[in-house]
Amino acid sequence: MARLTLLGVGIAAGGVASGMLFALGDRTGSGDPATLLVGGGAVAGAGALFGALVARLGGDGPADPDRIRPSTLGLDYRFTQPGALDETHPHQMRMTFAPNYFFPGGGGRLRLFGHVGGTLWQERQVDPRPQFQQPIEGQLGTAPVALRERRLSIGVGADLAVNLPYPVLERSAMLGAAELRYKPEFQIRRETLDPGLPSQRVIERSMLLPLTVGARWHLSPRQRFTVYFGPRFDIVSYAEPGEDQLARGSAIVGPLYGEAWYDVGFPMTARPRRDGAERKASVNSQLSMGYVHSRFDGRGLNFGPVIGFLGPVHVRWATRVRPKTWPVAMQFGAGATIGNGLSGAINMGVVLPDLGDSP
Amino acid sequence: MKLVGSILGMGLLAWVQAGCAVPECTNPDYARAECRVVAENELARLHTPSSVEVRFQDPRAQTSATWDARGLVRFEDGVVRARVAGPGEFSLSFDADADAPEQIAVELENVDPSADVWVERGGVETPVLAPTDRTLRRSLQLSITPGESVFVRGRRGCPEQYRVAFASDIQTNPAQFERILEALEEERDAGETVGQPLVALVIAGDLTESSRDDEFDTIEAMLRNSPVPVVVTPGNHDIYRPRHPHFNRRFGPGNHVAEVCDLRLVMLDTGSGAIARSVEARLPELLERGDASDMIVALHHPPYAGLTGAGWSREDRAQRLLAEAAIADVDLIVAGHAHALRDFPGIDIGDASLRQVIVGTAGAYQGLGEPRFGFLRVTLGGSSPQTCFVEVPPPGFAGPQGQPLSGRLDYCD
Repeated sequence: MARLTLLGVGIAAGGVASGMLFALGDRTGSGDPATLLVGGGAVAGAGALFGALVARLGGDGPADPDRIRPSTLGLDYRFTQPGALDETHPHQMRMTFAPNYFFPGGGGRLRLFGHVGGTLWQERQVDPRPQFQQPIEGQLGTAPVALRERRLSIGVGADLAVNLPYPVLERSAMLGAAELRYKPEFQIRRETLDPGLPSQRVIERSMLLPLTVGARWHLSPRQRFTVYFGPRFDIVSYAEPGEDQLARGSAIVGPLYGEAWYDVGFPMTARPRRDGAERKASVNSQLSMGYVHSRFDGRGLNFGPVIGFLGPVHVRWATRVRPKTWPVAMQFGAGATIGNGLSGAINMGVVLPDLGDSP
Repeated sequence: MKLVGSILGMGLLAWVQAGCAVPECTNPDYARAECRVVAENELARLHTPSSVEVRFQDPRAQTSATWDARGLVRFEDGVVRARVAGPGEFSLSFDADADAPEQIAVELENVDPSADVWVERGGVETPVLAPTDRTLRRSLQLSITPGESVFVRGRRGCPEQYRVAFASDIQTNPAQFERILEALEEERDAGETVGQPLVALVIAGDLTESSRDDEFDTIEAMLRNSPVPVVVTPGNHDIYRPRHPHFNRRFGPGNHVAEVCDLRLVMLDTGSGAIARSVEARLPELLERGDASDMIVALHHPPYAGLTGAGWSREDRAQRLLAEAAIADVDLIVAGHAHALRDFPGIDIGDASLRQVIVGTAGAYQGLGEPRFGFLRVTLGGSSPQTCFVEVPPPGFAGPQGQPLSGRLDYCD
């Protein structure tokens, strides 16, 4: 019932978005809600269909008490497609953190999350204009290197989840529990660009998301749909060529920010072993499909002439291994991001005991 | 041990990736911005069947050793056809091999009727006659001896003040765009009367809806008969038959600089939702103001999208362009993509403030309600660019009279 409702919501969102885009067109000057609805509606619809299939094939409960959440401390390694000859598209590594504090009485939780990381080596871009035929020393090809770049990435935020119906209303037994969410966030990217001139450029881009709100819908004991949306403010700062001192301006209104995620849990050790022996660890996994309505990191989904409207699509798998009696679990994951090409990520981390009144 | 294995695996992945690399555009995909950089650069030079090397050059170039993507060179029916990408100064070099003919027919396209054009050989300049009508074409028979280098150069004279028109997004409505061209003829005549000649029309992308040949044929024919030289760059609708560089083969480069009067006009190809990475590397050079009093950047996707929903696919590059524009003190950014007229007069970037106008009003569908078609008039030569909007309503409609325009924009007198 809940998945059917979500499927209907997804279709309705797509219809409303189409109406906004094709009937109102760009006349409103505020087309962002429509494109956000397109991405969010697609995840809702696709997730509901996929979730129904998984539930039919593999069962839909009971809920896993050790459900996958972000690692308390983790390492995230990202890689992308190869560049052209003599170019480098560096891999990136990030240290992540996401401790949880659960409120007493199961009323909700607060998560502090963030990351710090960057490119592991220099990004190199060649100038492909065919002006030279002579090989360049230290290179395989004849196109000169035109740009070198290093990137630092820092982000921090908090995610507050408050369970419904408490304290607002009673929920239907058919529709599953829901949560309200508030997720303020702050992201910084500092990019040092060397365009082959005597003076390098330092550019810092910040994204402020102070009013991001959302909701999570527990469609079934093992499946969840989560959305976030809110205004976005950007600060673009730069240093004069050759200098390090940044000139910081005021925040400018950016495109709307949004996320939509569909999570499906897969308990791997729910059944007893065939030989009857006791399991030494509990293992559970989660598949997440998501759409993020932000191209801040240069990832956007384009097709045909639909260019520059949508953010990236994410698919992630995570597995948690918790040895019996251990308070600490290990978590491993892999994922792919589709948007301006394909990029992959692997990660590993530890899950420490939650603070507060853990569920 | 597992950790060591993981790290080794990642290293292997990096090594395999490096080994897979091929030169840019080896497998052509002209939906990629970088591949169009290769195309526009190759199409700016030509080796004719009669062994003459023809190259567009930087107007200041004194040798023909390199070339610059400032136009499109074709060889058709025994004639070298060279479409100059922008108004103002241009330069073409002709290098004859030992077995080259003594004369070649040259037709210059998209050249202002009032521009001075001359042939330069050995420091001696020979003027090329101006056309008797007001067409944008010049024909000449170029005498060239084997082994000789000859330049054909042009320059447009300017009064103190002059105008440039901007519009974007024609797509499914070339008929409406034709009305805009007719209005531009009146604009040209009116400008000459008040001593502010119209020196160019700039179209910031989406000349077609589906990049089809018949659409390009229609637009190309219209632009050939434009009252003023037309400067173009592609939009997302112009690049999505990616097996061939259709846009570049019709109009030449999407990334180029035009220097006219005291204006440096920087055109950037964002058809793929962002400029090419190599163009990003060249931004400090492209945005080098030099002697120009004013500098305008024109491109399809607005680097600052606000809440229009029509931004760059790569916002990181858009924001870096804004930072470079702030460093270079760019006077105005003109874009399209959103089918609307939007003025963003104060975009704070660092300690600078930029102005961007979206003028997607050249004919494309604007949704339900009263359409707003027309062009942006920018008057240059004063202390800062003066902007206003010229409404060109569709038939049977006098335009949304008296409705306020966006930001600081007002209707032209």
